[in-house]
Amino acid sequence: MMAKRPISYAVLRGEVVETDLIEFGGRGGDITFLAPDPHKIADRIPLASPRLMEDMYSIPFDGILDYLAELGPRLELSRNPYMQEALEYSYDTAPSTKPIVDAFYHDLPFMFDKERIRKMVDFNIGIDHLEGWVEQQLNGCTVGIRAYGSRQLHIVAGNGPVLGALTVIRGAVTRGDMIVKVPSNDPFTTGAIARTMVDMAPDHPITKHLAVAYWRGGDEALESRIYQPHNIEKICAWGGFASVKHVTKYIQPGIELISLDPKRSASIIGKEALESPETMAEVGARIAADFAPGNQVACSSSRLVYVMCGTEDEDIEKLKQLGQATYDAMMSLPEVISTKPKRYDPDLKRQVDTLRLNDDFYTVIGGKDGEGAILISHTSDRVEFWEYLGDRTINIIPVDTLDEVLDVVDAYTQTVGVWPDNLWDTVRHKGALHGGQRFVELGYGFNGAGLVGPQDGIEPMRRIVKWIVSEKPSADKVPLWGDTAKDVKMLA
Amino acid sequence: MATTAPPKDNTVEREAERWMNDPYEHFGYHNTRIHSLPREEVEAVQLAAMNLRLKERRGEVQMLAKLADAQGIDEVSSLEGLAPLLMPHDIYKSYPTSLLAKQQFGKLNGWLGKLTRHDLSGVDVSQCDSIDSWLTKIRDETLLDVGASSGSSGTCSFYPKSKRDYRLSMMGMRVQLAQKFGEDPQPGDIDGKIHAIIPLYKDGHASMGAFGKYSCEIFAKGDPDFWHYCFDFKLSSDLMWLAARLRAAAAKGDVSKVDVPATLLARRAEWEQQQANMPAQQLAFVNEMIGKLQGQRVFVMSTSNLLYAAAKRGLEEGLSGVFAPDSVFMGGGGAKGVPLPDDLEEVIERFFNTKRMISSYGMTEMNSFSVLCEHDRYHVLPWVTPYLLDLDSGQPLPRSGQQTGRAAFFDMTAESCWGGLVTGDLVTIDWDHPCECGRTSYAMEKKINRVSEIQGGDDKISCAATPGAQAEAMEFLTGFGG
Repeated sequence: MMAKRPISYAVLRGEVVETDLIEFGGRGGDITFLAPDPHKIADRIPLASPRLMEDMYSIPFDGILDYLAELGPRLELSRNPYMQEALEYSYDTAPSTKPIVDAFYHDLPFMFDKERIRKMVDFNIGIDHLEGWVEQQLNGCTVGIRAYGSRQLHIVAGNGPVLGALTVIRGAVTRGDMIVKVPSNDPFTTGAIARTMVDMAPDHPITKHLAVAYWRGGDEALESRIYQPHNIEKICAWGGFASVKHVTKYIQPGIELISLDPKRSASIIGKEALESPETMAEVGARIAADFAPGNQVACSSSRLVYVMCGTEDEDIEKLKQLGQATYDAMMSLPEVISTKPKRYDPDLKRQVDTLRLNDDFYTVIGGKDGEGAILISHTSDRVEFWEYLGDRTINIIPVDTLDEVLDVVDAYTQTVGVWPDNLWDTVRHKGALHGGQRFVELGYGFNGAGLVGPQDGIEPMRRIVKWIVSEKPSADKVPLWGDTAKDVKMLA
Repeated sequence: MATTAPPKDNTVEREAERWMNDPYEHFGYHNTRIHSLPREEVEAVQLAAMNLRLKERRGEVQMLAKLADAQGIDEVSSLEGLAPLLMPHDIYKSYPTSLLAKQQFGKLNGWLGKLTRHDLSGVDVSQCDSIDSWLTKIRDETLLDVGASSGSSGTCSFYPKSKRDYRLSMMGMRVQLAQKFGEDPQPGDIDGKIHAIIPLYKDGHASMGAFGKYSCEIFAKGDPDFWHYCFDFKLSSDLMWLAARLRAAAAKGDVSKVDVPATLLARRAEWEQQQANMPAQQLAFVNEMIGKLQGQRVFVMSTSNLLYAAAKRGLEEGLSGVFAPDSVFMGGGGAKGVPLPDDLEEVIERFFNTKRMISSYGMTEMNSFSVLCEHDRYHVLPWVTPYLLDLDSGQPLPRSGQQTGRAAFFDMTAESCWGGLVTGDLVTIDWDHPCECGRTSYAMEKKINRVSEIQGGDDKISCAATPGAQAEAMEFLTGFGG
């Protein structure tokens, strides 16, 4: 008997599609999976008409929360065969390892907690803006502003299975119509969530406003049919530019691109870290907590760690001790948080091994077993291959001044971890000017507000809605007609 | 357990020493003989040479010693056994970049000295203020002629090649290019002066700049009247480095962060001026050579596109067959993104009176060039052991059947460095079937890719930045930003 082949189900507006299956993936040793031929379902992917958005406005915000709160527990692994199946298949496609994927799946139902979502929405958009017009008097007018749901296409990243769930939540609470194009490194999770929604409430507007499908990013024949202003208003694309670059050619008036562009993160640490074995142990643990979780596949994972300790020989010796403390901390993280990477990037391994020969300028701690490595520069240079750091590999770099660090904070920088507190105000302010988007206390990059918060400088939640304006004149507003019309100042 | 040592027969070692020392002389500069050796014999000599080299170089090249110590390898009993000691090409750019930016040539000298058997510690580089002055100083005072090259990442790599390495490399070119396979060398193939036409630089530390003077030695036998170059100046490695950094920075959308020394900035205009006129000057140069050297035997090393342009114009003017029929043309594959015309070979062959234009595969970090045969395969010289490595594990793929992997080589003729190198190229070799051309040497398929180009998944999306993603991001996002 043939082994069951994994299927990335298309779930289109309350209907599960598992016909016309064709094969995808399989490049570079990846597994292959089946998905409905996207060309056969292309017409069913977009919403037929904006008129069909009206049903979302028949549900109050609390009704949306109720729906999600009911969905959450149904996604618990123990009771959901769809999620069980998706998890099983995801071990092969996910960039992280089994314990981490297990933990993602285990925690996923908690994302649907009512109060958590309520706070997320209120913080990022303001529930009153979603529920009605928020009005103010301005220039003789009653000006109202309201956040409307948009018809949106999400090109989701596959670093972690939570991103599909997050997208579903964001779309629902903003009363959007969502098309989710799933990635080949997570082609199963979002479909399993959508299938659960179909079982739970097949005719509910939220179920009806979700279309999940896989197609190969760059399938021009398909994309040119879907990516049209009469189908969608916003495209929210996560970092992978293999997909985004194809998207950009469809951008035209009427389609807005929200590009969560590729980013990386860093840590900035004061010389106090090297004061004693105790501070080194603490700071090492904080560094590990900022790069190792999820095996460093996120953009918020630190990759470059700058320590303002100077570059004299004695400084470097201490820095090596900090490196060792960091390594030890990484190795002792629980496996639901971080493990030996699934497959250590062979190119990175080659580079790390090369660095090992060059011990005048670099010290390499670990890395022989593909478990991750701490690369310590002896000069203020980052390693030449710094852009490829991953699989639990960081570069610790000694510098003399903060300015040297700020030079490498740029528009591609997402999170900057800072320690100790006396650096906080300066790094946050100057770092922001250089392009840094999110500043956290070192050690809390993955243990803060999370994606419930504003995420980063791009603020996707505020941007997936359409901000609509309404204006009505106050009683004493002078009209542009009649004898007094000439007195009206036409100011921009 | 006690083992009995087999009776020691040094025949293979002695043969290996001859190959290592000057293989061309050893084989009487006879191309056909070189490419007709039985593979078993070749591999036995290669293995012997590896052990001889390892023993010798381990005490001389510090980076090798470190690698061999770490791997715990003192001796190898098979060709595969050497694979862990092949050095990634990145090693030649593994110095901290700030040393170059801050012009700390003393430290750079120390670093470079660990990659070669030649002693650099006596070279006083305290007065050096540029890459050019540093490398010139080394060239003047040692047996080295360091090869510099700039990559797309904006870093500069330095390969401590010796002058002898360059000469051997050029001799390999002459032996393989001037003679027809299957025939004995013709009079003049080995000893005669051949006009060397190099539409490039007179001098320089990059291959493009260095080839000129060594081709003068080997092809023109040192006669300046037989050496023809287009640009009467030195290709500056400082400017090449600057250009590489500016390009890399531009790809990331931030040129302002390139920290350029004022001395270099002053020369930027000069360099841009040179660059701008270059194609026209090269074409004019080739046309001048056509007039001057009609009917003579020439060696031309150029890009295919340049030769095509000159040939096309010549044919339109009713000229053809301008050089002697035993002339040698070596063309580069053309720059990336510059398509080669369909009738390229036909036009060049007709105009220049040549049977075929020859391509070769090689790199600064190796002495031995592999020349493309009539059946479109690059033949590896017998003193080079090719390896194909698994892209994931880095382990050598079986030396049987048809395999495709990351190419690595051990070149036993390397006089200055270790000679074991892992490249960034993806190569295919059919280990079992000798090439139809008759050469017994191992042959690489014509299509060679960069490993970096073929890696990267189908549709995997991640929010963590990779350089490729960034470059593409810039290109596409600025494109419609208005």
